Amino acid sequence: MPTESIGNELALLLGIAWLLPLAGFAVEIFGGFLWPRVSRTAAYIAVACIGIGFLCSFTALMKWGNATDWVVLKGTDSHHASAGEHGGEGHGDEGHGDEGHAEEAAHAEHAEGEESESGVHHDAVATTFSGTMYSLGTFGGLEVTLDWYIDSLTLLMFTMVTLIATCIHVFAIGYMSDELTEDHVDHEVHTADGGHFHRPGRFYKFFSYMSLFCFSMLGLVLAGNIFQVFVFWELVGICSYLLIGFYVERKSASTAANKAFIVNRVGDWGFIIGLMILWTYCGTFRFVGEESTDGHAAKPGLFEMVRGNDGQIDVNEEEDVVYLRDAHGHRLEDPETHEPKTIPYALLIVAGLGVFGGCIGKSAQFPLQTWLPDAMEGPTPVSALVHSATMVAAGVYLAGRFYPVFTPEVLLTIAYIGCITLFLAATIAVVATDIKRVLAYSTISQLGYMMLGIGLGGWAAGLFHLVTHAFFKSLMFLASGSVIVGCHHEQEMPRMGGLRRKMPITAYTMLIGVIAIAGLAIPGTVIAFSGYHSKDAIVATALAHTNLNPGHFLLFIVPLVTAGITAFYMFRLWFYTFAGEPRDQELYDHVHESPWVMTGPLLVLSVFAAGCAIGGEQGFLYSMLSHSEPAGVATGVEAAAVSLPGHDLIHDVHHEAGVMALFAAVSGAIIAYLLYGAHVLNPADIQRHFTGLYTFLVEKWRFDDLYDAMFVRPSRVVAGWCAATDRVVFDGILHGACRAAINISKWDRLFDEGIVDGLVNLVGNVVFGIGRSLRVVQTGRLRQYIMFIAVGVLTLFVLLFAFFPKY
Amino acid sequence: MSLSPTFLLTAIIFTPALGALFLAFFNKKAVEPMRMTALVFTVVTFMLTLFLLNDFSAAEPGIQPVQEDGTRGVSHVWIESWNINYQLGYDGISVPLVLLTSFICMLAMLASWSIEKQVKGYLILYLLLETGMLGVFLALDFFLFYVFWEVMLLPMYFLIGIWGGPRKEYAAIKFFLYTLAGSILMLIAMLMFYFGSSNLPGGSSFDILALTQIGQGNVAGITFDRTVQITAFILLFIGFAIKVPTFPFHTWLPDAHVEAPTPISMILAGVLLKMGGYGILRIAFPICPVGAQYAAYALVVIGAVSIIYGAFAALAQTDFKRLVAYSSVSHMGYVLLGIAVWKIGEDSAAVGRDYWLMGMNGAMFQMLAHGVSSAGMFFMVGVIYDRVHHRDLNQFGGLAGLMPVYTGLAAGIFFAGLGLPGLCGFIGEVFVILSAWNYSPVLAIIAASGVILTAGYILWTIQRVYLGPEYKGPHAEAIVPMNYREMTVGAILLVFAIILGIYPESMFGIMRESMAYLVQSLDQGYQNYAAAVQSTSEAISGILK
Amino acid sequence: MEVGLNHYLFVGAVMFVTGVICMASKRNGIGVLMGVELVLNGANVNFVAFARYTALGLDGHVIAMFVIVLAAAEAAVALAIALNFYNNHLTIDVDRGDELRG
Repeated sequence: MPTESIGNELALLLGIAWLLPLAGFAVEIFGGFLWPRVSRTAAYIAVACIGIGFLCSFTALMKWGNATDWVVLKGTDSHHASAGEHGGEGHGDEGHGDEGHAEEAAHAEHAEGEESESGVHHDAVATTFSGTMYSLGTFGGLEVTLDWYIDSLTLLMFTMVTLIATCIHVFAIGYMSDELTEDHVDHEVHTADGGHFHRPGRFYKFFSYMSLFCFSMLGLVLAGNIFQVFVFWELVGICSYLLIGFYVERKSASTAANKAFIVNRVGDWGFIIGLMILWTYCGTFRFVGEESTDGHAAKPGLFEMVRGNDGQIDVNEEEDVVYLRDAHGHRLEDPETHEPKTIPYALLIVAGLGVFGGCIGKSAQFPLQTWLPDAMEGPTPVSALVHSATMVAAGVYLAGRFYPVFTPEVLLTIAYIGCITLFLAATIAVVATDIKRVLAYSTISQLGYMMLGIGLGGWAAGLFHLVTHAFFKSLMFLASGSVIVGCHHEQEMPRMGGLRRKMPITAYTMLIGVIAIAGLAIPGTVIAFSGYHSKDAIVATALAHTNLNPGHFLLFIVPLVTAGITAFYMFRLWFYTFAGEPRDQELYDHVHESPWVMTGPLLVLSVFAAGCAIGGEQGFLYSMLSHSEPAGVATGVEAAAVSLPGHDLIHDVHHEAGVMALFAAVSGAIIAYLLYGAHVLNPADIQRHFTGLYTFLVEKWRFDDLYDAMFVRPSRVVAGWCAATDRVVFDGILHGACRAAINISKWDRLFDEGIVDGLVNLVGNVVFGIGRSLRVVQTGRLRQYIMFIAVGVLTLFVLLFAFFPKY
Repeated sequence: MSLSPTFLLTAIIFTPALGALFLAFFNKKAVEPMRMTALVFTVVTFMLTLFLLNDFSAAEPGIQPVQEDGTRGVSHVWIESWNINYQLGYDGISVPLVLLTSFICMLAMLASWSIEKQVKGYLILYLLLETGMLGVFLALDFFLFYVFWEVMLLPMYFLIGIWGGPRKEYAAIKFFLYTLAGSILMLIAMLMFYFGSSNLPGGSSFDILALTQIGQGNVAGITFDRTVQITAFILLFIGFAIKVPTFPFHTWLPDAHVEAPTPISMILAGVLLKMGGYGILRIAFPICPVGAQYAAYALVVIGAVSIIYGAFAALAQTDFKRLVAYSSVSHMGYVLLGIAVWKIGEDSAAVGRDYWLMGMNGAMFQMLAHGVSSAGMFFMVGVIYDRVHHRDLNQFGGLAGLMPVYTGLAAGIFFAGLGLPGLCGFIGEVFVILSAWNYSPVLAIIAASGVILTAGYILWTIQRVYLGPEYKGPHAEAIVPMNYREMTVGAILLVFAIILGIYPESMFGIMRESMAYLVQSLDQGYQNYAAAVQSTSEAISGILK
Repeated sequence: MEVGLNHYLFVGAVMFVTGVICMASKRNGIGVLMGVELVLNGANVNFVAFARYTALGLDGHVIAMFVIVLAAAEAAVALAIALNFYNNHLTIDVDRGDELRG
């Protein structure tokens, strides 16, 4: 079958892209012993691995497009498109860049009616492919496997991750070059004698960790079942741990690394609970069923089971039990009892919330957001790759990927969590002064937007924002890295200022990123940065949602206001850092523009940050994404509790929402300009007026203190109790028993020695005494003896006669 | 290779004992030759277990070797008047554990170079210990099992009591008393079975296979009734639970570990603890399915409590070795949890038997994984202890810079203990946890929360010991990089942790059929019992009418 | 006056008591032996008298014969002891032989 072979071909390409970094990791970590410290070999290997990975991913994307005749770009109503008609056209697309497709998509969209796609991609041309790589264990009818699952989302994520990772790897060659020495001085660590800490450089180690991270991240995206996602989820977690704690000598770094991992584990706890429920009731982890190759009935996957083939959850009349269904929409039966397979509705909610708990941890959503700002202890390329573009977005990716299993209640929770997070993080970002921390909070906030989008039913909008955000945020992080290198590891913005004159490339690429995240555009023209399109899509979804559910109006108001705040703090950052006059002349004098190896990636990324979303909802990116949209999203959901808007409703309010969002963003940007660019108002005055609020925000809403008091200290106390229980109770019981045994044996000894032995001795002593006393009688005199005899006999006779006189 | 099974099994068990005998003729000053000899004997034993693996047929669920007349195992009369046989055999449950035993013994022997005191006596006791352990895993006669169980006990007592740390006498006696208490309970249960099986054609028996058949109601006219099964199960369980060890029978473990020398800690954690789990799988469950089902909930609770309690206790420790010891309590909790998730429906058949099977497999895998990872962790503690002679967690730091290879290996091993995917700890833990919801959601959630605590204490330990700028404790001058011998041990353990982690089928393949058979027969055994009760009550009500 | 059983018994008793007194009072070993003879013969008189006056028949006589023979043997042994005693102590004063004192 041709679809089989294209599926395998794609899997092979993505598999290479996935496994190459692992091989790179192995070579780099062991090669560290062979190469001199000043060798850049590790970096070249890492770049080569991820670069080839990008080429493979891109090739796979093209192949997928050709194999599916670019149905994506011809509009979503692909049912009528025959393979032959567009075959030649598809082959011609190989050499085009993204923009080319986007234009084509725009054409296709015009020819398109209002009819939205049904979400089933198996009809004309197969566009999703899945298969099994590896079995981890088989237990009767249960099997835990590693699978692959490829659709347009997977391909896009692969391409995006590998592209950004390649740029960041190249950037890191420059950024980490101070590690290329036998004697690296860490100015942040002081030894006991007061000097700076010296150590050999760890250039190779950094790149090996980065390669391991790429492997884990790509594995996560390629995963074909939720268990496998969990596996790589943990692996990216440990890579993040290693990279945050890269400067192992810094106490703050290792603490931040621990915090990141442990907070993530809290989310993973929820993830495991979700896994347990799904595993127990569905008996499979796979997203979609296995291909029925040998004519046997295919085993359905989780998505079909919960959502059937029409995107609807099959609930019974009381709405407390969900019937599990197969790919054709028939209810599944237990093979032995012939009763329908079901899952309680409440448990489906719990499972969804559980899995989303994992997403909360990984994507640093409220209430587990506290680890991400601390994670900025890692080197800046790590922050760019792991903690903004890829790993933290994995939570959003999973929320999107696992969308079919989420019930409306779970989606509403996701929306509210996202809403809280985006506001909370944005407010903190307003007062942060560390350049990386501002970006970190902005990342949390943007991730909140993505979650909000997904939770409101704007599936493609959320993931759209994921991709655009990945580009502009990694761009901004790299630019901040460039600033940090330029300023000799100074990260406090109040000491900077006016840097644009010294480092123009960094400043203006950063500006592109700032404009992109703020979502600025000139309405009515094609001049619109990527963030405009994606944030616009989310806000439009929110507006449509609010129209349907007026009770949840906050889900629209808050993101709209926050859009303004976002623009404000991002422009604040830019003005603070690059504009105006230098605030620290000594620092300023030593600032220099970064070398090409660092500014090159900035330029590449700035192109994508500006233009990756070109065409908006008719563009290539959005079309690709919405092609993978789960069944039933497009039509929306009408329900008593919460209704989700369909594509039509969103489309209707799109323009309105766009204007509102743009207005918010522009006002934010203008306020920032007035405060920090034009100095119309003095920010310090405002700060003095709101001291309480300011302190509250600077202390990050006091979450760290709260968690410390609520969890960390209590768990230490409980731990102390447990250890004390062991010492006091269990060992106490044991020692008590031993003491009792010893006492008993002491008594036993007394009894033995006093009474048992005493009796025996007494008998002996008495007999001895008697014998001794009789010794006197034994004189040895013959005549005396005779006298005794005579007297004795006489006495006997006398007694005899006295007592028995009768005889 | 066509070694006779009797010869092969006997050779596996007694090669170390032979080595001990051989060593007795050495001059006690010839330390290095004696160490080499002992190492050679452990290596030979390991080779022999590889032959066993070669002879083992994974497709055969029951005990092997199967004789031509259909009987299983090899059996020779030992004490005829009491019907005690020298009966040995292996299946998918014991083969991995035998391999683990000889493997860990070999590595721990390599780690024994650090023992300087009375080397001859140490080596002789060490080899005798290995004989005892291998015997336990291969014996199929309950009496023989019991004998090996006790044989293993004495060398351990002396190894802790003579070569241990400052409180060695206390620890050795504590260990001895606990284990002895357990084996007394086991002895009582053994005699219950012996005298309960007097109606067998051959008279009373210690044959575990025969007793299993009786216990599962497969022998006409003779059963262990409910009371006997429950009593015997509780006795056996406490006996084995002490060895595992589970909460609340675990307090001997931290003391024994802390005081024992490094290689003995490795064996203690790597192998000895597994004997408890093996006993539950081989004896307590199969012979007393009714008792096991009766106690299943308590077992799962104990397992879950062990996981959480051990993790909390580990969090509070300041002694490096004690922390690792408590992590063993936590990790072995998964074993109990996985074994006991036996849920039955109204018709007394198992509900979701595949999940139970998964739990069983996971538990068994967890035993093997813990054998590798905990032995590794103790070894890593030993390496640094040999240098600086203290174990206070607050007085380490900065080892990453001073001993980079050591830190790399240790981090790998500790991550295996943390349950990181790709390393051995993950598979067992997560499979057990996944199987638990089917039995009890609440307990499953509680047990799953262990992942947070585990991450907490392991990462905190890594931070305190390996990270940071400077070493803070005494004897800083003694910190030198690992030597090649230490590197070999550490690297082999890490490699196996990785192999088990990414290719779990290597072990699941061996144990799959045996585990499926065990679960199936237990399920059937309980149903036999329920059916018998049913027919009896019907008969009684018929009479009453 | 008819000589009856009581007379014989009286004679026997006198002989016995005389013998006992002799044994108890004599310090000479030979004297003690003579006392023994008196005691034995006192008893003999009784045996023979009872044989004569009661229905014992010849039994009394036989026992008397036994006693005479026994006395002869005893005298032989006793005289040998006396000789040895004399060899050791140069006297036959029985009060000197108190080595068996307890």
